[in-house]
Amino acid sequence: MKKVLVVLMALALLLPSMAFAGGSKESGGMNLMIYTSMKENLISQIVDKFTELHPEVSVDYYSAGAGKLMAKIATERQAGSVACDVLWTSEVPDFIGLRDEGVLLPYKSPEREYVVSTIDDPDGYFTAARLGTLGICYNTDLVKEPPKTWDDLLDPLYKGNFSIANPALSGTSMVSVAMMVENLGWDYIQKLADNGARMGQGSGQVVDDTAAGDTYAAIGVDYITLDKIAKGATLGFAYTDQMLVIPSPVAIMAGTKNEEAAKLFVDFLLSKEGQECVAAAYTLPVREDVEPRMDMGLVHPDEAKARAMSLDYDALADNKEAYIAKFTEIIQGGN
Amino acid sequence: MSKAVKVQKKFGMAEVALIFSIAILVVVVAVPVIMIFLTAFFKDGHFNLAGVVEVLKQKDTYLALKNSLIIAFGVTLFSTIIGVFFAWLLARTDIPCKKALNAMFMVPFMLPSFICAMAWKVLLSPRSGYINKMLMAMFHLDSAPIDIMTMGGIIAIETMYLFPFVFLQVSGALERMDPTLEESARISGASLWTITRKITLPLVMPSIVAGALLVCLYSLAHFGVPSILGVEKGIYNIPTKIYERIYASGGSYEAIRVGTILATILVICATLILKLQNVVLKKGRFQIIAGKSMRPVVLKLRGMRWPLFIICVVYLLLTVVMPTVTIFLIGGLKTYGLSFLPKNMTFANYAEVFQMKMTRSAIWNSVYLSTLTAFVTMLAGVMISYVIVKMKVKGKFILEFLGVLPYSLPGTVIALGCILTWSGKFGINLYNTAGIIFVAYIARYMAFSIKSNSAALEQVSDSLEEASRSCGATHWQTLTHIVVPLIRPGMINAFFLIFLPALRELTTSVLLYGPTTRTIGVAIYALNEDGETVRAAALAGIALIIIFIGETFIKGLLARLDKTKRSA
Repeated sequence: MKKVLVVLMALALLLPSMAFAGGSKESGGMNLMIYTSMKENLISQIVDKFTELHPEVSVDYYSAGAGKLMAKIATERQAGSVACDVLWTSEVPDFIGLRDEGVLLPYKSPEREYVVSTIDDPDGYFTAARLGTLGICYNTDLVKEPPKTWDDLLDPLYKGNFSIANPALSGTSMVSVAMMVENLGWDYIQKLADNGARMGQGSGQVVDDTAAGDTYAAIGVDYITLDKIAKGATLGFAYTDQMLVIPSPVAIMAGTKNEEAAKLFVDFLLSKEGQECVAAAYTLPVREDVEPRMDMGLVHPDEAKARAMSLDYDALADNKEAYIAKFTEIIQGGN
Repeated sequence: MSKAVKVQKKFGMAEVALIFSIAILVVVVAVPVIMIFLTAFFKDGHFNLAGVVEVLKQKDTYLALKNSLIIAFGVTLFSTIIGVFFAWLLARTDIPCKKALNAMFMVPFMLPSFICAMAWKVLLSPRSGYINKMLMAMFHLDSAPIDIMTMGGIIAIETMYLFPFVFLQVSGALERMDPTLEESARISGASLWTITRKITLPLVMPSIVAGALLVCLYSLAHFGVPSILGVEKGIYNIPTKIYERIYASGGSYEAIRVGTILATILVICATLILKLQNVVLKKGRFQIIAGKSMRPVVLKLRGMRWPLFIICVVYLLLTVVMPTVTIFLIGGLKTYGLSFLPKNMTFANYAEVFQMKMTRSAIWNSVYLSTLTAFVTMLAGVMISYVIVKMKVKGKFILEFLGVLPYSLPGTVIALGCILTWSGKFGINLYNTAGIIFVAYIARYMAFSIKSNSAALEQVSDSLEEASRSCGATHWQTLTHIVVPLIRPGMINAFFLIFLPALRELTTSVLLYGPTTRTIGVAIYALNEDGETVRAAALAGIALIIIFIGETFIKGLLARLDKTKRSA
């Protein structure tokens, strides 16, 4: 017993010193912390490839919903120590807000000239690093004819069976809702609600719910849906006439202690190699010289840009909360 | 000379231990709680009751409070009924395979309720639930017969995994009870019903109330089950509401303030429940244990023996085996939504748990955080309860008060208090480190440690220590050679009472985790929320294995160590 106690005592002294030193690894090289809303199967490939090319940088990432990341950063700013060096999410309004608060570091990567995107920040506070698209993800057992237009979703077939991720939790869902509102009007949201549309949880959960048959169809993020299709899920993925194209900007935090590593990462992410990882994970790259997975039903960035719904991101940054509140009220009021 | 002695006496070991103990509890428990009250009631340095009332008037906060109370009430009621019934069945009847059943009824205690909630969602969610689909196909129904994503579903699932609190307390009391009391009633001609009503029930009432109270406090502030089964359908309780508020608003100060107001309500509810318990228990106090107890008379079930046994087995199959098997099966699916055919199964998800950085670090974080917390809290608990139970020193009442305080603090409240206290306001910034989870765990589990250690210390007669001291041993020698060996079972018990719950903790860590400090609970929750259902299930399956190993293997090892030491 004494020996066990001694061992435990030693562990008790040793562990906290290891744990609480947190982050400051003794690799000698540079550190980098990425906060991203990209899911594990996308970000891990990119980080692996980056580490291969730049072994001197020790990369860590935190993958969570955009809302959670912003909450984390806000709390960190209040606490006075921001752990995040590079931020890469799909919520453009957040980047505009952070830029206006002076929390972002401007950086014009040499790769910027190749970028095709629906947004552009001329001062280089953020740059699109992926063109996220959202389409209709549907259960192939339950839906035989994939929807082609937004009005197809008002069909009785989808009564109580169509879901949209919670815009308070998911950045892509937030921007999609705003696009639908600005291009199709609140009327359309009301019609969806009247047809029993539901609000799901995160953007991944709605796809899983559809795969399980809990809903017939949902607004699904391209790579989340296609990844599951590739694994054999009974899902289909279809674009509507007017497409939801959501650029995912990447930005460097102004207070970063790892500026050099952060710039290396942004360069890599926008480079041909980095974008090939993006394309391989079933989403749209921002470069025309990288081939998207056309075989899975994806389109070229140029075409996506042409078919994209418009959105005034600057205005959205201001009335984001109001949009979320109104949307939630309409959808939950309809049930 | 005499003056010097006096000074020395004033600052003897007792005083040092007292001050040190109070300091620990003040820093870890009291300061966070005070910070919560201050944040809730003061705005910009002014007392602000209007703000509090405003928050409470909002429909969603008011509904969350109502749901919390309904869930707590329902879970307590059903847990008590089920717990008392099975405890009585196993302790007082001649049901077959008692030992095995007794062991099996402890298993729901080990299962993390939110993992089981995930399994039940897969089985019983409307439309896609496997059981619902099966029933619909079997009876040609148009809609799903059972909807688990309702208040009733939340109450049912929480009851399934919380009733062991009552079961444990009551079966212990029934076994220790003096059977001569029942015997004499029977000799005097009382019927079984009268005996149960007038003798047995009043005698075990304190244990029933104690168990019910634990269930009530736990379910009042439980995060996992309502977040998995309720949030999607707009059913919030206070912890899920606090979580949503903080994350929806980008972590603004206002959201944290609303959180503290809701947290204050939780503390008030918990305190009221504790008060109620004291009132109930004061009405009738009986000595349950009277000397060497004889084997109580068991009721012959006769024809009911096997049917009741089958009920027990079916209950266990439904609540323990089925969810566990479901988790492992889902974890083996290639992607969620496929049927459980061999061609759709894979081990890739389980392998990924050990390959993915996030899951690997989550397992490591949980294992070392819970080991460390259990160890440190156990030692601190020994010291604090030693001062409370054994030492005669002025100012002890402060310690007694502080010692019971964590008992009425729900995990969500502790987490908020820790954010307010340890984010640099007092010069120490633990935010985003494992340190903040560590201090929160200590605050959360201190009550367990003090309780277990006090109980052990109370059984050690003062005369043993006095004998040691009068033979010339120092205070320290007495402690290490007499007291610690005697209370070692209590210490080991405290260690496990903390280690196992901390290993699967979610309610507190979900508000405190940082990018590199996810716990197993948080990782499973995040994967599930992100729609990585199969990965979440795979990690949950591995977590179940770790918990199982922790429970059986380490416990067995320590028990053996204890035995060899004693025989030597």
